[in-house]
Amino acid sequence: MTETRSVTSSAETPTDRAAVRTDEVWKVFLQGPEEVQAVRGVTLVIERGEFVAMAGPSGSGKTTLLNLIGGLTRPTRGHVWVAGHDVAGMSARALAHMRLQQVGFVFQAYNLLPVLTAFENAELPLLMLGVEEGERRKRVHELFERTGLTGLEDRRPGKLSGGQQQRVAIIRAVASRPALVLADEPTANLDSATSASLLEMMEELNRETHTTFVFATHDPQVMERARRLIRLVDGQIDSDDS
Amino acid sequence: MERGRLMLRLAFRNLRRQARRSLLTAAAMVIGGGLLIFSVSLGDGTHEDWIESGVRMGSGHIAIQAPEYAVSRKIEDRLSTQSVAAAREGLRSPDIAESVLQVVPRLTTGGLASSPMGARPVEVVGVDPVAEAGFSTLDERVVEGRYLEPDDRLAAYVGAELAEGLELRIGSRMVLTAQDAEGEISGQLVRVVGIFGTGIPEIDQRIVHIPLQTAGTWLRAEGAVTTVAVLLDRSRAVKRTAHHLEDVLAAPIAAGDLAVLTWQEAMPELDAIVKVDDLGNYMFQGITFGIIALAIVNTILMSVLYRHREFGVLQALGFTPRQTGTLVMAEGVVLTVLSGLLGIGLGLFVTWFFWRDGLDISFTWQEDWTFSGVVLDPVIVPLFRAARVIQGLLFILFVGTLASLYPAYRATRIDVAEAMKFER
Repeated sequence: MTETRSVTSSAETPTDRAAVRTDEVWKVFLQGPEEVQAVRGVTLVIERGEFVAMAGPSGSGKTTLLNLIGGLTRPTRGHVWVAGHDVAGMSARALAHMRLQQVGFVFQAYNLLPVLTAFENAELPLLMLGVEEGERRKRVHELFERTGLTGLEDRRPGKLSGGQQQRVAIIRAVASRPALVLADEPTANLDSATSASLLEMMEELNRETHTTFVFATHDPQVMERARRLIRLVDGQIDSDDS
Repeated sequence: MERGRLMLRLAFRNLRRQARRSLLTAAAMVIGGGLLIFSVSLGDGTHEDWIESGVRMGSGHIAIQAPEYAVSRKIEDRLSTQSVAAAREGLRSPDIAESVLQVVPRLTTGGLASSPMGARPVEVVGVDPVAEAGFSTLDERVVEGRYLEPDDRLAAYVGAELAEGLELRIGSRMVLTAQDAEGEISGQLVRVVGIFGTGIPEIDQRIVHIPLQTAGTWLRAEGAVTTVAVLLDRSRAVKRTAHHLEDVLAAPIAAGDLAVLTWQEAMPELDAIVKVDDLGNYMFQGITFGIIALAIVNTILMSVLYRHREFGVLQALGFTPRQTGTLVMAEGVVLTVLSGLLGIGLGLFVTWFFWRDGLDISFTWQEDWTFSGVVLDPVIVPLFRAARVIQGLLFILFVGTLASLYPAYRATRIDVAEAMKFER
């Protein structure tokens, strides 16, 4: 799929301190000769500390919107601000730094590095941030203890269950204390009990650290627990219920 | 620092993850590295042998002559007694003395050798028999008779082809005729005491050794020489020794009394042959390592394509494209350096093995091989040089880095969002 881009007029950076703000953001891909409008003029504000789910059928644009917010892809038109930074205008290097400092990702397929142990996977963003070793170990060990993974630190991902891998992925996402955690179908590969426990854990983190969580999901459990549910249909916001 | 350690840790573990592929590529590099060191050592040993043979048959590693002599080859362009003394003094300098194995004075002139059977053009070399025997290998090439001795006066040591042409035997008399130092044509009767055969036609047909004192008297140039030939312990010492001599002999050189010539200047044909052979060797190494580089590109590129999603994850977590590329480079360089070091170790072992007795390739020869005044020895002794090992390592590192560039570039160009969708 090829993406199309067009020049947009620069918008003023909002002065508020929202975690995420999008302004008429579009994402258009070229799929062969056809133009696919994955996100169509979405404008939304997510305040700090929110626990938000974006739901919708397949192809509704929720993963693309999540990628736009995380700076993994650039908007064709419009603007995205994360913690006041205009993501659309950033260089690849600046985007990487922004992700490292501000955003944590949790993926459906866990995406742990197979050559690193659970502990090494979890501490990776801290290491990249230059957090000193003692502090790194302390933070990761605390999170391992809290998530019931103590004793599994030296295991490689292949030796962990799906639920355990996703816990490690969540630790990796939150260990650096980012302002925003983006979770794309984090419970899709898990049974309902494991999903419930993981969601509980993320809710706790959200309450205690005021980290903003944004989910793209099909899972009714996630939708139930979310304090705000945004429904997307055909790349547009269909409903936004708090 | 910690990021660097992380990169190396990831590189090592990723190589181990694809152990079979990594080992196959490493094996190519080990063999290539071994071949590189051994063939370079063998080449250096061969060249050292050629140079050793050439300089002993010729005018040494370094020749000190009057500037015009190299072209004119006339006795009037001889060195003055003061120049010879200055040259000998310079060669005794502590900085270079230990590299100097032998110094021989020679009074050389072109002339004619005549017998009742006819005349042949020759190069008559007046030598100090004792010093010359420690310098040249001609004394070891006796076919009949003996080499010159210190008490000899009207004696001559001639090449086999000259002896055959003039029908000379041991004890035969012949007349040498040449222009003397005063420009007069002068003749000298000598008696053949020895006949040599080198297998090199231009030497066997032309060279006649007579005692230096006899040559000086005959050519009315007593005490004078045309060349002070210097033999060093190794050809690598030539440059440094020549530069040192040029420094200490700066005054007579500036006055135009003498010139310091290296063997490369005195024997440009031999120098050219060594360089051409080196070039051939380098081309062979270039082709070998070109093929190895393709294997490295393949291994690392396959790894990049296989781990597309993984690189996407790393960038999502905050790796910059450049850091992602560096990680890939680290894998290529780690693989190359480790296998290259093993290869160099293998090469050094093989070099050491053949260094003891040499590599005998005489079974491939029909007869003696000679060129440009050099007799080739069929037993090649590889020559170890630390500089060659460092050059080899740097070359291997260069190849590894170069081969990793494209895969690294591919890793930097990953579309993160697409990579996250990527399914193996």
